[in-house]
Amino acid sequence: MAISYRDAVFLYCLKQIKDERSIYSLFHLFQGKKSSQTIQDAHLYKLTPFFRALPLITRIELETIVKEFVSRGFLEQVASENFVLTIEGETELNVFQKCVTIPPKFLEGWKYHHLTTLFWERLSLLVQVSSNLINKNKGFIPIQNKQETQEWFKKFLKMQNANRYELAEQLYIELTECLHQEKSIEPAVLVLRLTGHNKIGLTSEQAAERLDMTTTHYHLEFLNILHYMIKTVSTMRNDFPLLSSLVQDVQKEVPLTLSTEKTFQLLDKGYVPNEIAAMRNLKMSTIEDHIVEIALHVKEFELNRYVHPDIEKRIMEVASKTSAKKLKQIRDQVDGANYFEIRLVLARNGGQKWN
Amino acid sequence: MELEQALFHYFQFNTFRKGQREVIDSILSGQDTIAMLPTGTGKSLCYQLPGYLLKGKVIIISPLLSLMQDQVEQMKALGEKRAVAINSFLLPFEKKQILQQLDRYKFIFVSPEMLGTELIVSKLKELDIALLVIDEAHCISQWGYDFRPDYLKIGQVRKALNRPLTIALTATATEEVRHDIAKYLQLEKWKEFVFSVDRPEISIGMEIVGHQEKQKRIVELVESLEGPGIIYFSSKKIAEQMASKLRDRGQQVMAYHGGLDQEARVLIQQQFIHGQLNIVCATSAFGMGINKENVRYIIHYHMPLQLESYLQEIGRAGRDGKNSLAILLYTPGDEQLSIQLAEGEIPDREQINMLFHVIEQQQLSLTKITENEELFIRSCGFSETQWRIVANYIASRESMKPSEVKEKFYHYITERLRIKKEKIAMVLEYLQYRGCKRTFILNYFKEKAASVKVNCCSSCGLDLNDFQKNTNLTHANTQNYNWEQELASMLLK
Ligand SMILES: [Zn+2]
Repeated sequence: MAISYRDAVFLYCLKQIKDERSIYSLFHLFQGKKSSQTIQDAHLYKLTPFFRALPLITRIELETIVKEFVSRGFLEQVASENFVLTIEGETELNVFQKCVTIPPKFLEGWKYHHLTTLFWERLSLLVQVSSNLINKNKGFIPIQNKQETQEWFKKFLKMQNANRYELAEQLYIELTECLHQEKSIEPAVLVLRLTGHNKIGLTSEQAAERLDMTTTHYHLEFLNILHYMIKTVSTMRNDFPLLSSLVQDVQKEVPLTLSTEKTFQLLDKGYVPNEIAAMRNLKMSTIEDHIVEIALHVKEFELNRYVHPDIEKRIMEVASKTSAKKLKQIRDQVDGANYFEIRLVLARNGGQKWN
Repeated sequence: MELEQALFHYFQFNTFRKGQREVIDSILSGQDTIAMLPTGTGKSLCYQLPGYLLKGKVIIISPLLSLMQDQVEQMKALGEKRAVAINSFLLPFEKKQILQQLDRYKFIFVSPEMLGTELIVSKLKELDIALLVIDEAHCISQWGYDFRPDYLKIGQVRKALNRPLTIALTATATEEVRHDIAKYLQLEKWKEFVFSVDRPEISIGMEIVGHQEKQKRIVELVESLEGPGIIYFSSKKIAEQMASKLRDRGQQVMAYHGGLDQEARVLIQQQFIHGQLNIVCATSAFGMGINKENVRYIIHYHMPLQLESYLQEIGRAGRDGKNSLAILLYTPGDEQLSIQLAEGEIPDREQINMLFHVIEQQQLSLTKITENEELFIRSCGFSETQWRIVANYIASRESMKPSEVKEKFYHYITERLRIKKEKIAMVLEYLQYRGCKRTFILNYFKEKAASVKVNCCSSCGLDLNDFQKNTNLTHANTQNYNWEQELASMLLK
């Protein structure tokens, strides 16, 4: 029996984390947990595309999938929560990847997770309202009923200079233009979901069935197309004035977690980690987690304020030579380096390269 | 004729439906009113039209969040922008914003639990209130099948608001319940309107089928009956299974239940209303507030928990006045499932023991119950419904000793469970009754038997051939999908 799309995604991710991370780290990744550990791991193991890609996954589902892989001979258990792919597992994955790209080409969970839902809700509402406006149909139920989205939309509509026909036509032109530009995507994945004046869009389950995809496959293709659109319209604002304005008001950079933001501000004021830990009544290790998160996010971060250049160099040497990601292996080989320094160096160098 | 003109002006209807005119007249003459109107006769018009004709705000207390949201959406869809819902769905900043500009709205929907907060009540006090509407007013009574302890607060709030003109609306209420409504709302003088719960255009069927044959029978019915239709289930899982089975046989069908995300719920409702779906396999979450005129049949896969909810659910058929069919499939023993469901809705003794054990151990004050919601839900394993009952019960007894509250709470849940079991026993009695099913229901609501001559019920004689599909439509769903054409048809004129 060939493996399913979902199987392939899980095998791919398990392969990336090797036996170095617990399978539950994937659970946090798919859910998009905003902890320093999850964010760091995503960068370290090149799994950023999958950040918050399957938010509905449960622990039990994950465990079931892993158990199944073991019984099918794709995985081998090395510790209670750690597994490696067997040769058979690798082969299955390779065969699958010859036909289907994993991750999907434009999937950028980490980069866009805070924009994805927003963009979809606004876009689908814009299409529905435009379609009803040009058909002079006032009595319709908005398919997006979040107060936030509706309030935003009212303001948005007021700011438009074009009349209803021009607005709808502009939307049509931008959508077709954007969806035509990239051959690797399937526009039906998106368009089937849209609601117009006399046609209600499909749910994701219905769209998946219609396109003969499994739900996981469909869901990732849907995210893929949204991420493709967000990327395209925001890099080519002039070509897509209407679509790009859907996310114009939102912060483009991924925000820091709230607690990290506070630490960041204090560091900026010149406090040292020890002082911050004492001031905020937090453990030193927590503050260190924050600093690693900052290193991943903030371009201007000065690594050498925390790690001596020599130690940085040696850590990188060992890390690249052994391709080891286990902190302990690195520490054993680099005298005088502590875990915090190693994590920081890996975050900085890994993060920069992969971002 | 003035009223008819207003009806046309605001709703584009030419005539009132049964009962509406009398109820509206009563309100406009300044009388507190209790009105019992059958489902599907346009209850909401009874407060919306007076709302337009009276100066001041209309406050509507409505029990179900989803229902409230639907009503606001529907009003907005009809062009009424001044409708708003205040409930726990709102994010704090949204709530703040709405409360700051509350005066801008005309129709303000409030969920009953919100009435417990000082802030909301004081904001409402600042308003000029023309009419207070209690929707689904049977929720105020312990005898009502859908008792909501929050509703008991309404009487107090009504007093705090200086007893504004009040209308209590319900589709199903026995005399006891109507008595409770007046009592708890603290009405002094009121007018009561009771219109028959009978819907002669709906034929009431029941079939006894074996456990193994139920699904097969559903398939047969669905394939032969004229749609659209709704099939009700007590279980999400079976609703899903059945939907997928029917879909495999070429039906346009989806399952609808509380486990779906918000977007999917809206889409499925709208697909059904727009005729893109012919059947919905639903749990009781579906149907409240849905205005679809041409539903031709309602099938119950599981037995309902009360005759009251059964009547509401089958009342969603035939709103266009055309003949429609209700069929309940019963397998002897189904009542066991009903009892299990009823028990699951109420916290059990063990959970209550655990609750008070935690309170004691952590030395928590009863006033801090809601603040520790998560702790209790986790440690006692409460479901959402169970927790609502617990929080409510304790909130109104904060000043008592925990041990006392515990004893009383035991007593309270025992009583609640007893009432629920009685209701189930009544449904069972109905199922086993060999006489006219319609008469049984009418008698239950203290009404006299009405005479329906043709296809009254399965006891009097019911010919399913009269509800057969005329044509066998096959859906051409296999044609190629052209996304560009689809976009063009949405956005180009
Ligand atoms: Zn009869």
